[in-house]
Amino acid sequence: MGSKAWLVEDESAREMLDRVLTERPFLLLPPLHRVPLRVGNIVEIVGPSPSAKTHILIQAAITCILPRQWKGVNYGGLGHLAMFLDLDCRFDISRFSDLLNHRIMEAANGSSSEVDCQIKESEAQNATTKPYNEELFASCMRRFLYIRCYDSSEFLATLKTLHYRLQKERETHGVNVHVLLIDSIGAFHWIDRGSSSFSLEGDTRKSLHLQSVTETVVQEIRKLLLVHPMLVMATKAAVLGNRYSMNDSKRNYRTWSAKDNLHSRNVTSSDQQVPYREYMPAVWQSLITHRILVRTTDADFVNGEHQNVSTYLSEWLLPPLNSVDKFIVRDTGVFVLS
Amino acid sequence: MAPLKNLETEYPIIDSNFQNFCASHGIFSVEDFLIHDLYMLAAFAEQNVSSERLKEGITQILSIIDDMHQPWLNGMELLEDAKRNKHFLPTGIQGVDLLLGGGIRVGQLTELVGPSASGKTQVCLQTASNVARNYMMLYLDTGNSFSPQRIAYFLGKTNELASAQAKNQILQKVMSNILCHSVFDIFAMFDVLHQLESNLRCQERGGGCRIRLLIVDSISLLIAPVLGGTSTRGRALMASAGYLLKKLAHQHNLAVLVINHTVGSEGGTSKPALGDSWKSIPHSRLLLSCDRGSNVYNVSILKHPSMASGKAARFVI
Repeated sequence: MGSKAWLVEDESAREMLDRVLTERPFLLLPPLHRVPLRVGNIVEIVGPSPSAKTHILIQAAITCILPRQWKGVNYGGLGHLAMFLDLDCRFDISRFSDLLNHRIMEAANGSSSEVDCQIKESEAQNATTKPYNEELFASCMRRFLYIRCYDSSEFLATLKTLHYRLQKERETHGVNVHVLLIDSIGAFHWIDRGSSSFSLEGDTRKSLHLQSVTETVVQEIRKLLLVHPMLVMATKAAVLGNRYSMNDSKRNYRTWSAKDNLHSRNVTSSDQQVPYREYMPAVWQSLITHRILVRTTDADFVNGEHQNVSTYLSEWLLPPLNSVDKFIVRDTGVFVLS
Repeated sequence: MAPLKNLETEYPIIDSNFQNFCASHGIFSVEDFLIHDLYMLAAFAEQNVSSERLKEGITQILSIIDDMHQPWLNGMELLEDAKRNKHFLPTGIQGVDLLLGGGIRVGQLTELVGPSASGKTQVCLQTASNVARNYMMLYLDTGNSFSPQRIAYFLGKTNELASAQAKNQILQKVMSNILCHSVFDIFAMFDVLHQLESNLRCQERGGGCRIRLLIVDSISLLIAPVLGGTSTRGRALMASAGYLLKKLAHQHNLAVLVINHTVGSEGGTSKPALGDSWKSIPHSRLLLSCDRGSNVYNVSILKHPSMASGKAARFVI
């Protein structure tokens, strides 16, 4: 009798799928819309500077903090918390609040092109919708959690205490943190490499250099994701390899070949296929589940009001999709062109 | 990296038993805790005789670590701080102020790049003369390019209608508001900046006239000698300098303007110096150029947090 009761089902597969998809939905964030992302994924956004990487993170944060529905208007967000770890220390909150405001107005007005043109015309409309939007705006902004890290020690200290911070925020707001955004992961790379690893007291003592810092970061993130499932998105500034940019890499190889004729040909041919020069240690690379490359193009997209807006290209490296998407950054956020 | 025993007076839970336990795992200071697995350490503590006290000690260390990072803020608090403190400092050059939406942003690191004789120092001096009417500023001069006569000239131009006495008063005030230091290598700059940081921290409690603008003319002359070759020390110094400037800008509400020069690149074009690692350090990067034989300058945006690159403006100094 007892053992048969143990075999009784809790829920059918369909019910389980329903439950999982509502609690942990797939996110389709432009320009990462080709691959659905969900909690537990760790996405790396690679690109030279500047290439709209931070804007992609801001897009994800805004989608996360907007509610799904509010006073009858559908905003299409998740209504959860978003955490932003600013390692570059370049985050501009005014830009973030502008983008959030425009998203709110776009959803409230129903159409994006109307918003772009009518911003100046609908002053009266703004006056009446302002208090309506301000309450929503304030509640969304309070769901955006931000911290700056000026060096690796502060970054590690943040990660070590993140578990308790996440619990505290869950109690305060009643909702979970859904996205963890890191901008950018290679920020302290040179500083950590430069700090030489004096091995005091023999080999028993670890010091704060690149390898140990990266290993600890990866370990902490893995442990955090076990208890607090989140979508992790990290940007990484990288130099494009031979495939895209001939400028810098060619100059380096030219000076190399002056010194070492034997090896130069091997190096250039093997580097042909590399889209960018990887510098993060292997332990970080093994943590990544998704990777996308973004870069600017020279072609300018002429907006309606004769404003030249930079066009960016995005290409999925992991999983490798053989398609390149074009996108621009507008006042309402990232907008995919093709 | 103070050893753990220094904490014993303040936190009696970190007693010699705890210190020995940590030492047996290779931990001698609080910084060592940052790269060790604290859950594993707690598991080892379980097997120890005084496991409860050891675990309390670990919890105490965690709360000390919690003070080692910047405070968490939410979006509203950040926005409040930006509205209250992070204003624009007008440069006095109409074209530049219009392009940047008001002037140089407080709290951000702005870089001005240009080939030689493209007017970078002129823009700095004009900005200095304009900002120093109302605030104090610090000018770090690396190439003996600071010229008080030029500052006086700029002031004279903008105050043409004022009386001689008023002009003199303004001149006195501006000159006393500008602090000029000559620095000839990167370590001297670090010295000055650390001194500035501790002065600002003291002033925060006491009030008094605060510095609002920091100009480094030019930072590339300080960094370029240590860069290059296979050593990573140069790039580490460059990154540290960048972070120190950004920290000063954000925490003490300064606007920081640094000057960079250009070097040749592929196909005879020129590009900003200091390489790819420097590119992601400033908030905004502006490219300056001068029309041959005239005093008309072009400034265009290479990178900006909220504007597309390529936007340009012309101005006359």
